[in-house]
Amino acid sequence: MWATNAKIVGIVLGTLALYTLIANKIPQVQSEVPQTLTLGANVTPEQLVAAGEKVFNGIGGCTTCHGLGTRAPNLLTDEKGTGPIGARCGKREAGKSCKQYLYESLDNPTAYIVPGYQPIMPVMTRQLSPQQIWALIAFLESQGGTVDVTASDVPAAAAAAAAGAGGVAGFAGGSTDPKAIIPAAGCLACHKLDGQGQVIAPDLTHVGARRDAESIRKKILDPMSSIAPGYEKLAGIMPKTFGSMMSAAQLEALAQYLAGHK
Amino acid sequence: MTDHLLLLLQAASDTTRAYGEFPLIGARAAVWIAAEVHLMFAAFVLGVPMFAVVAEAIGIFGGDERYDRLAKEFTRLLLVAYSATAIWGAVLVFFLATLYPRFWAYLTAVFGPSMWVYAALFFLESFTLYLYYYGWDRWKRDRAKWVHWGLGILLNVWGTIVMFIANSWLTYMMTPPRDITPATDPATIKLWHAIANATWMPINVHRLIANVVFGGAIVAAYASYRFLAARTDEERAHYDWMGYVGNFIAISALIVLPFAGYWLGREIYQYDQSMGITMMGGFMSWLWVIQAFLIAVLFLTGNYYLWVGMERIPGAERFRPYTKYLLVVLVLGAIVWGTPHTMIADSKELAAMGGSHHPFLGALGVMSAKNTAVNLMILTTFLSFLLYRRANTRPVVPWARAGTLIQAAMFALAAAVVLFYGIRGYFVDAIVRIGFSVYQVLAVLSCIVFVTVIDISLGRGAKSLGAIQWGKMPARSQYALFVLAVTFTWLMGLMGFARSGVRQYWHVWQVVQDTSKYAATPALGYASKMISLCVLIFLSLVAFVFWLGGLAEKSTFVAASGPEGAKGARHVGH
Repeated sequence: MWATNAKIVGIVLGTLALYTLIANKIPQVQSEVPQTLTLGANVTPEQLVAAGEKVFNGIGGCTTCHGLGTRAPNLLTDEKGTGPIGARCGKREAGKSCKQYLYESLDNPTAYIVPGYQPIMPVMTRQLSPQQIWALIAFLESQGGTVDVTASDVPAAAAAAAAGAGGVAGFAGGSTDPKAIIPAAGCLACHKLDGQGQVIAPDLTHVGARRDAESIRKKILDPMSSIAPGYEKLAGIMPKTFGSMMSAAQLEALAQYLAGHK
Repeated sequence: MTDHLLLLLQAASDTTRAYGEFPLIGARAAVWIAAEVHLMFAAFVLGVPMFAVVAEAIGIFGGDERYDRLAKEFTRLLLVAYSATAIWGAVLVFFLATLYPRFWAYLTAVFGPSMWVYAALFFLESFTLYLYYYGWDRWKRDRAKWVHWGLGILLNVWGTIVMFIANSWLTYMMTPPRDITPATDPATIKLWHAIANATWMPINVHRLIANVVFGGAIVAAYASYRFLAARTDEERAHYDWMGYVGNFIAISALIVLPFAGYWLGREIYQYDQSMGITMMGGFMSWLWVIQAFLIAVLFLTGNYYLWVGMERIPGAERFRPYTKYLLVVLVLGAIVWGTPHTMIADSKELAAMGGSHHPFLGALGVMSAKNTAVNLMILTTFLSFLLYRRANTRPVVPWARAGTLIQAAMFALAAAVVLFYGIRGYFVDAIVRIGFSVYQVLAVLSCIVFVTVIDISLGRGAKSLGAIQWGKMPARSQYALFVLAVTFTWLMGLMGFARSGVRQYWHVWQVVQDTSKYAATPALGYASKMISLCVLIFLSLVAFVFWLGGLAEKSTFVAASGPEGAKGARHVGH
């Protein structure tokens, strides 16, 4: 019986060892806690690229869509014969440098939709700090191109952010003009309003006929509170952070404005 | 600057009060082990009563006392395992209260009353189990037997409610209702609102089925050990049969499990797309390749056990030439299922691969190919079982040939539907393609149901080609049952890691953040070591528990072995 017991123990330990070995042989990816990125005044391009790579693979969440070939354009490898992003970014828009193009793509992703893809990218300048944004741009430039992001870009962006593009002051520098809030908040990336914007989410042109101001306010604060019929599959896509990103006055102005769209 | 410093000091102060430390292995590993081992025992003690009651019912309605005895043996295994479940549950609570005090306080603030109900039900479940087991011989005749069977059902009811309550706590951590934010005072959250969260019911259903799978696998491993240790032919025959029943239960329930998993995955995506993408295409993407490998092992080993088992069935030799074709389908299916699709790769890896997908294998890594592969593997496993079932009989009903042809046509039709939608999936949009999996699943399930119905009718009065020689089973088949038990247990640990790890650095998703030094979610390599350690602890304890159970049981088995041996030669088990 000892021989049988030894065989059983051997099989159990052998099976466990095999599974453990295989799991250790595959690429090891740990999900890190997002860290605040602090860049000094003397930061080098190499340091920016290294920091940007971490943002790309980590807190930026870029790998969720980019690089899979289906949801968004490849950035690190060739995209339909145009090369990786660093090689093609300077040629995408006439008169715009690679750096400008990448910053605008992160700040206003719907500005340059690559044909064949849906406008699903969130506004990254609201999710990442200016330091993270510029590190990310440096990393993307390094993919087949030349890194020209310098330390001087970073404070400039920080200052711009402090001037009011987001934060507690709200969208559009705190303006309570709904026509300024809507594009600044990126509503048109998914919704259509008065002939402008995308049709991923419900058309808002006649939203006032379906919802009153109270319902719109609630929907902005808690997007999952109600789902428009026919859009159940998209439930969860609308960020639930708008409520905390605009002032109470902006929210009220927006709700009233949309409720007026009968 | 001063504000920043104050915030840092505040965070450090909060963290100091929020977490404790555990020597050597750390707080996270300690809670991980306690939770996982508790869960494994809990799955066993919740799964086994389900088929114990069914076996007892077969004994009552079919008049076959072997099933009644089998049910009692199942229940005996529960007794000590139940104590182990409670002990590990207490360890888990103590660890949570001392190592994660702030988070534990949060959970108790939300779920306090349900914890009281949980404790009360635990008492009821314990005493029902004792009554059920110790009253077995006293209440074994007439109306008393019905009362006894009712106790078994009651045991399942208590156990299921207990599990549902515990599931509400862990699913809340994963998918708290959307109106709950970090600013929400936990004391103001309505209990039912927290319980009825997005993944509660999918997890309930998934775990109910998984518990049956797990319980069946552990029972089969127990039986295989007893088979290998048996000293008499009667004992060997009994445990061969028990091992077969355990394996049959595990594999049958396993076939249904992916559909419950699909529902759970869909709910996760609907709740929060980013969570779903993290799980399937983000840092956890490699986990599914490992899962595919484990499930391939389960399918191959389960079929292997059936094929070896056919060696002890007179008449089975006529089906033996077909097993190699079944093996080819299973291996090809496993390879396709294990082909990676969306996963994180760095620029060097992408460049080496020549793009985001492998030029050839990329086509096999998509859902169309995977769904086709797994459905064909299920069909193949069902066919193996059908051949096993038919092995020692020859139908005598007048429509036997037509019936068999209809069965073959059903298999062919189901396979054709699966292949058609698998290939068609490459030419349609993703949203349409997702719907195709439903047709594939329906084709396979319909085939299983209708072919089984026909087979039962075909088997009426069938000519026997000889009784199954229970006990005449090579030892390698029993070792296969051990591989199945270890793989099921490991798979359970892996899926637990997937479910829990997808929260990443949140105790409660986007509500309560993990600010401890263990907040990062570890890579699969580390997780696999933890899983293996938990499996080893669990199996060692199970071996000890079963050994203890065997001490009290031996004498009763010998007393009953005489008639058992005679019956053991009959064709039973399905």
